[in-house]
Amino acid sequence: MNLVQHRRNGSNWIIRVGLALLLTLTAGLPAGSAEEAVSEIRIADGRGDWGQPNPYLHYPRGSGYVRMSWVFDTLVWKGEDGFQPALARSWVFDSEMQAFVFELQPEARWHDGEPVTAEDVAFTIELFREHPYYWIRLDDVSHAEVMDTHRVAIHLHRPYAPFIPDIGGTMPIMPAHIWREVEDPNTFTGPAAFIGSGPYRFVDFDPVQSSYLYEAFPDYYLGEPKAGRLVYLRAGQAIAALRNREVDLASIRPEMVEPLQRQGFEIVQDERGWNKKLMINHRKAPFDERAFRQALAHAIDRQAIIDRSQRGFGRPASFGLLSPDHDLYSPDTPDYAHDPERALELLRQLGYGPGPDGFLQKDGEPLEVELLVSNITAGGQTAADRDGEVIKAQLERLGIRTDLVNLEQGSTDTRIREWNFDLAVSGHGGIAGDARILNEMISSAHGAGSVNSARFDAHPELNRLLDAQLRAMDPEERRGIVAQIQHLHAEELPAIPLYYPDAFAAFNPDSGVRWFYTPGGIAKGIPIPQNKVSLFP
Amino acid sequence: MLTWRGHLLAYLLTALVMVYLSYRLPGWLPGDFVTAMYADSHVVLGAEQEAALRERLQVDGGFGSYLLALARLDWGTSHAFRVPVSDLILNALPWTLLLMGGAHLLATMLGFVAGVEAAWRRGGRIERTSVGGMTVLQGVPEIGTGVLLLMVFAYHLGWLPAGGGATLYVDHGFAERALDVLRHLALPLATLLLAWFPGNFLLARASMVLVLGQSFLDTARAKGLPPIRVRYAHAARNVLLPMATRFGLRFAFMVTGALVVETIFSYPGLGTLLFNAIGARDLPLIQGIVLFSSLAVLGINLVLESVYARLDPRVRVYGRAL
Repeated sequence: MNLVQHRRNGSNWIIRVGLALLLTLTAGLPAGSAEEAVSEIRIADGRGDWGQPNPYLHYPRGSGYVRMSWVFDTLVWKGEDGFQPALARSWVFDSEMQAFVFELQPEARWHDGEPVTAEDVAFTIELFREHPYYWIRLDDVSHAEVMDTHRVAIHLHRPYAPFIPDIGGTMPIMPAHIWREVEDPNTFTGPAAFIGSGPYRFVDFDPVQSSYLYEAFPDYYLGEPKAGRLVYLRAGQAIAALRNREVDLASIRPEMVEPLQRQGFEIVQDERGWNKKLMINHRKAPFDERAFRQALAHAIDRQAIIDRSQRGFGRPASFGLLSPDHDLYSPDTPDYAHDPERALELLRQLGYGPGPDGFLQKDGEPLEVELLVSNITAGGQTAADRDGEVIKAQLERLGIRTDLVNLEQGSTDTRIREWNFDLAVSGHGGIAGDARILNEMISSAHGAGSVNSARFDAHPELNRLLDAQLRAMDPEERRGIVAQIQHLHAEELPAIPLYYPDAFAAFNPDSGVRWFYTPGGIAKGIPIPQNKVSLFP
Repeated sequence: MLTWRGHLLAYLLTALVMVYLSYRLPGWLPGDFVTAMYADSHVVLGAEQEAALRERLQVDGGFGSYLLALARLDWGTSHAFRVPVSDLILNALPWTLLLMGGAHLLATMLGFVAGVEAAWRRGGRIERTSVGGMTVLQGVPEIGTGVLLLMVFAYHLGWLPAGGGATLYVDHGFAERALDVLRHLALPLATLLLAWFPGNFLLARASMVLVLGQSFLDTARAKGLPPIRVRYAHAARNVLLPMATRFGLRFAFMVTGALVVETIFSYPGLGTLLFNAIGARDLPLIQGIVLFSSLAVLGINLVLESVYARLDPRVRVYGRAL
């Protein structure tokens, strides 16, 4: 045997071993049959870790709340057709008592077998008053009155229009017999901390794998949930995980819609419940001038941003902030067409003119702005910013020299909080949920802690209307007030709503479970298609 | 030249400096846990609520108490997870070691053998082709090969899992579990191997070429030693020193080195843990991981010194030959 032949034989041997190893590794692929999928649902998540699923431990993001919502039920719950009974089988507002009266499901049980009673509801109010659960505000709640074992009245200090979405449909009810003895709920992490009355029992959270395991609660008052087990997995590449049948449900990018549809996946699209917007530091010149902010609105071509940074998958946002899919959306809200001429005219009225370098200046001072951008997380998925470059180009075409600064999200948030910025690309959901979002995203009295809030208090009438809409218990009266707020927001532009990115999710219909985006979002407006109603029997 | 006691003291002082830096540096990140968690969330906090949260999370008693706590093996508690930092690190470490350690070891060993063999055949078609190929491959970023492998083997062929370190929450026997872990490891490991193998190959080849013309090899041949012994026991031994240096240096980046691959394949590990901790400004966890990796670098350095002396007796440590 000569040397060349010997080497060839050696190469063949290596190839044979390699192939054998590959075949061994690829053996036993997940079959993903319909039967297996019904007994278990696997949900993909780009990040995975959203804290442990109880009110004091989950992260204050939509995904964290949803993880908790499988374990803890609320009094009412938002389904596909609006609010529906949950722990309360009926409810009514008694205007004389100024109280919401709830009649509880008598069959409801905690995961340890104890009955859910009116005492638990009253205790929950007291617990969250003493140890706040930041998703709800109890400022307007006076007290809870236990009327009998399964009837409870929650009294208000004063009228509070968003009570049902903000408290009734968001506040998890806690078991009094467990939490009454807990000294510091924030550090209570034992197994009893996860006993709720929801459709699933919490079994495991692995912070390193970023995975969650839940098991169906067979004694759930609405009947045993459809899937025996519910698993959350971290999956960076949703399309491959879906294709491999490693998961049954995942949020997907718009470009994945067609290939996944061809493979038999069902696709659902969210309403316009999340918006990108341009934050403006309206506390400093020249952004404190309304006309300047209006000039920016005319200068920015939002459709071009959608076309270039979102590849066309998005729709321009309403300048009134509330989503056009919202019941209280006002179609009369002022609009700003992309009109560079009008933008220049407004800037000229403010004293700006072209300098020797072609960029605008005023009294010899060049007009320069800094635009902050960073990765943004929406619906559990994080995406790199692509809007900044487009906005910078549009502003510079108008003559506004723009310094684009891309920072890590925490650094951007800190600078916005401290008013250490000019312009920043930001985004938030909740705009198809209750109109209380307007208060949080406009006024500093309600949104002081949010970097997405404009914290704009320069217009007393706007702030008066924001307070008034919370007190308007008559739906038509509230509709009128909310329309005025949208109008004033569009005129004042404390921030510029840019666009609603298209959001999709894909699921395996063979699993026998139909997922949907909740109109108005889950609870306070979470745009995630993981509503527990989908797994109700 | 330092005695071994002086050497040990130098290491201890370095360790103390590293403890201080890992304690101090993460605190310079802009923002804090409350801002990172709540400022861009569904929850809008009032000023009083923010202050209360900050007060509750304020556990920093200064460097002295941090050092004392470390002495008690208390690495603190993660703000986000509410579990001890040491538990999180110990749970993530095996995955990092499996992926990074496995990739490093394989890349080094394969690179060494392939580099030596290529140098031995210098000037030939195989050597020229492999050097050209490896130079090109070295320039391909991990993200490129990772996504390509993922799309071919996970998405199109469906042969291997798209992500994760193992199939979770299933009852497997030991053999099934081991196979499952290997299946999940295959793509991320292959990605790292493709990224790191070329560097090792080129280094081994270049180091080998430098010694091939030296007279001690002629002596070895003249003694009638078999070619494989001349090649490995005499020539390739000189390649081990730079290879060991490279191995140690790259291993020092164990925590952050696999972040891209961990992200593409959703593979668990210290890199993802650190990345998320930085995003959440989870200071105790950042401090813990930074400290762990700093001490790991120090430890690897110590091991390398010993390894050098064994690989090449001419290297003197502690003022005397070992």
